[in-house]
Amino acid sequence: MMRELFTRLRFLVVRRPQGELDEELQFHVEQATEVNLAAGMTAAEARRRALVDFGGVERTREQCHEQRPGWWLGTVAQDVRYALRGFRRNPVFTITVIATLALGIGATTAVFSVVDRILFRALPYAHDDRVVSVGLVLPSAKEEFALGGFFFEWRDNQKPFEAMAAQEPEPHACDLVESNPAQLDCLFFDSEFLPLLGMSPVLGRNFSPEEDRPNGPRVALISYGLWKGHYNLDPGMIGRLIDVDGSPARVVGVLPKDFQFPTLESADVIFPMAVDRAAQATANGGFGTPMLVFARLKPGVSVAQAKEEMEPLFAHARVTVVPPVFRKDIHLGIRSLHDRETQDVQLTAWILLGSVLAVLLIACANVASLTMARGEARERELAVRSALGASRARLIRQALTEATLLSLGGAAVGLALAEGLLRIFLDLAPSGIPFLERAGLDFRIALFTILLSLVCGALFGLLPALQTPRVVALAARAAKSRKRTVLRRVLVVGQIAVSMVLLSGSALLLKSFQNIEEQRLGMQTGGVFTVQIPLPGFRYNSGQKQMDFYLQAEAALRRLPGIRAVAISDSAPPGGWGGRLLYSDLAVSGKPHPTPGTGGMVATRRVTPDYFKALNIPVVRGRNFTEEDRHSGESLAIVSRLLADSMFPGEDPIGKRIQAGRDVRWHTVVGLAENVKNGGLVEPDEPEMYFLRSSIADYWGGRAPLLIVDSVLSPKATVPWVRSQIEQLDPTVPVTTKPLNDQVRKLADRPRLETALLGFFAFCGLLMAVIGLYGVISFLATQRTQEIGVRMALGATRMDILRLIAGEGVRLIALGGVVGLGAALAAAQLIKSLLYEVGPHDPLTYLAVALLLLFVALAATLVPARAAMKVEPVVALRYE
Amino acid sequence: MPPSTDLLQGTLDLLILQTLAPGPMHGWGVAQRIQQISKDVLQIGQGSLYPALHRLEYKGWIRADWGNSENNRRAKFYALTATGRKQLETELESWERLSAAIALVLGREVRA
Repeated sequence: MMRELFTRLRFLVVRRPQGELDEELQFHVEQATEVNLAAGMTAAEARRRALVDFGGVERTREQCHEQRPGWWLGTVAQDVRYALRGFRRNPVFTITVIATLALGIGATTAVFSVVDRILFRALPYAHDDRVVSVGLVLPSAKEEFALGGFFFEWRDNQKPFEAMAAQEPEPHACDLVESNPAQLDCLFFDSEFLPLLGMSPVLGRNFSPEEDRPNGPRVALISYGLWKGHYNLDPGMIGRLIDVDGSPARVVGVLPKDFQFPTLESADVIFPMAVDRAAQATANGGFGTPMLVFARLKPGVSVAQAKEEMEPLFAHARVTVVPPVFRKDIHLGIRSLHDRETQDVQLTAWILLGSVLAVLLIACANVASLTMARGEARERELAVRSALGASRARLIRQALTEATLLSLGGAAVGLALAEGLLRIFLDLAPSGIPFLERAGLDFRIALFTILLSLVCGALFGLLPALQTPRVVALAARAAKSRKRTVLRRVLVVGQIAVSMVLLSGSALLLKSFQNIEEQRLGMQTGGVFTVQIPLPGFRYNSGQKQMDFYLQAEAALRRLPGIRAVAISDSAPPGGWGGRLLYSDLAVSGKPHPTPGTGGMVATRRVTPDYFKALNIPVVRGRNFTEEDRHSGESLAIVSRLLADSMFPGEDPIGKRIQAGRDVRWHTVVGLAENVKNGGLVEPDEPEMYFLRSSIADYWGGRAPLLIVDSVLSPKATVPWVRSQIEQLDPTVPVTTKPLNDQVRKLADRPRLETALLGFFAFCGLLMAVIGLYGVISFLATQRTQEIGVRMALGATRMDILRLIAGEGVRLIALGGVVGLGAALAAAQLIKSLLYEVGPHDPLTYLAVALLLLFVALAATLVPARAAMKVEPVVALRYE
Repeated sequence: MPPSTDLLQGTLDLLILQTLAPGPMHGWGVAQRIQQISKDVLQIGQGSLYPALHRLEYKGWIRADWGNSENNRRAKFYALTATGRKQLETELESWERLSAAIALVLGREVRA
């Protein structure tokens, strides 16, 4: 075995001397001659017969060579040298092809590097394909969540999972109180959490079950980032006490460097959940603590099976824990963690990948067309090589070698291009797309690019290679047949069709994006900015303290020059977190209670009187809240028009009294405000109820409110003053200011990115399709130069010639356009859910796209057609 | 007409290995021996013989050395290597299995 390997290796390196083979064959002939002599022939005859019997020496010699292992490597090198010589001879062709391929491959690579993690790449956990998210889903809460009221029962009685673990719904702000204080994100998860994901701390250990109990020892895990940034990778970190929010915790472990939380959020310090199981029956109004639950499926159990097996437990929880009003709408949700993380963007990712592959296809078609044109010109050369004994396979291999070289060249340039394109994507991209900031060109992406270019090369290399060189080509005056352009025409029709699909897709998105940008928000956003101050909860631990701080801040900001209004609210529309109530939880005094579970959701905000002034929301009936109201202790409310219409149809809402949810107070309606976009940019508006934020401690506490400031000066001038005012109140609190305009713009980031990218691809596709069309038409025109000369000599006018050549183009455009239109109408169904207030079959959009395509394509046809028209008959007749 | 190479592809290797089994021999000798033993039925043309010899050598089944022929001329002698000997045994076995199987299908008696 070893010996054989050695022999093979030796022959790979050492070439056998040519003479040896000749000597061996010579010996054979001599032996034959001797036998013939012995048979009684003359010397000359004996040698002649021996040679005749022997046959062709050259063929044997070649065949012996071909036995050499790795023999074909030599011919590859030969093919490569030959191809490179050809490229040098024809630099325009080479550069065009490489540039076209680089564009296609570069764009595809950039997009792939973004969508790879969303669509294909596994999560960084040991059992990534078996980790699922389990919980309840509501129409208003599509991400699974769980409650302490049933979690433990589920965990004890479930069958489909190997393990279940819980974490706090989202990280909360906390303070590291040390000589070097810092604001951190803290999170609770239970001791099962890390083992479930198959992860373990890089230093130290996970929480023990004893530590994950109420009143257990206070311990913490810290993130790698905190360990590195704050403790300088101190190896003695384990066992150290850190002071978080004023109470010490012992560090037991450090999370791995690239640890990814299943919610994709980040946290610096993690404490054990330490849920008091007994207290869950009464905690949080009897529902139990809200939490997120993850589980690992047993091997071989599918998500659907797990759902089926969990159904009885869910049914029980629905009856025992969930209040009756929710029961109809609530469902059991189980889906893979990968889906939970990426489901929202999967469609966008597929669309981007599909459209960029379409661009690549167009690019490949263009290159194939170019290569075929080059093939026509080289037909004679190929025929000569064929006549000299090059086999068909060898010619195809030569063509494939050239194609591979070109596409590898394209891939190299494309990779560089992809790096640039990726930077642009990342600049354009909104923050909400998971994994985007991790996108980059790594080994996996490079491998994809090379594979892609090889597939591409095979595609455009094989098509032309399949055309056999004909013997006619050897004749000095080759008769060109028009049949050979059929393939190129088919390619052009395909290119036009694909560009039509891309163009109409991007036109629809553009229209939809315009609709989003131009819609009325129902409020002013210019000159308004929000001020966010997350007060550390351990110092501002009562409603009174919080209220005092914000009222002081409000007064301080009002004193600043150029400030028109300062309001305090939970959040600012159109996005932003806001309180929400079920419509059926609103009771109107003197009216029957609405049927539970009807009417959908109502947005609520607790605001000061200036809210309507700062955002310029008109109060059309009744009155706004006043400054006096704030101290009167009365519970007042303003309803939006949408809410008034459904709650008090045909009645005057002013003076009506409403009780909301579990709040026992009755609120008197004093005004009716115009509707505001309050459900995000593209989601339907919700009815809204504004409660007066009275200056009474009861109304404060809980989630930190927001200051909304309307200023006549530019935010740039005002913001530093705002900061210094807040700093005077409390120098340690961080202040974030955001212009409202930016926040609104940010909401449109996703559609903007989709539109920009698809538009870019459509543009590239159209450009290449038009170049392809131009190439074919001008090729046809040159090919028919002689015919044109004859026609003109026989009396055809220049217009006739123009019509002849342009007619060819128009046929291709029409055919491609019709095929493309059909495909585009079908493809539009896929992007339906991305469109806002424009139908997938919007006739105006399609008309505009068709006209654009027709116009550009006609231009590409007319240029060569006009050139053909100007042919001088005499010159044309002497052609060739 | 010599039989087509396709048919002979594996068989030719076997014949050459078998012919070289008794001792080293040059190419001409191999061709003559096969012709002689097969009573002129199998005539190996040099066009298939030498590529086959080279192939076997590259595979490491036979070894080539220059030596002197019977009439004192320089000639290349091929000899079986240890791997070649093992290969011959396997090929003989599989050949016997194959020919027995074909004989069965054709309905002939298998000669033991």
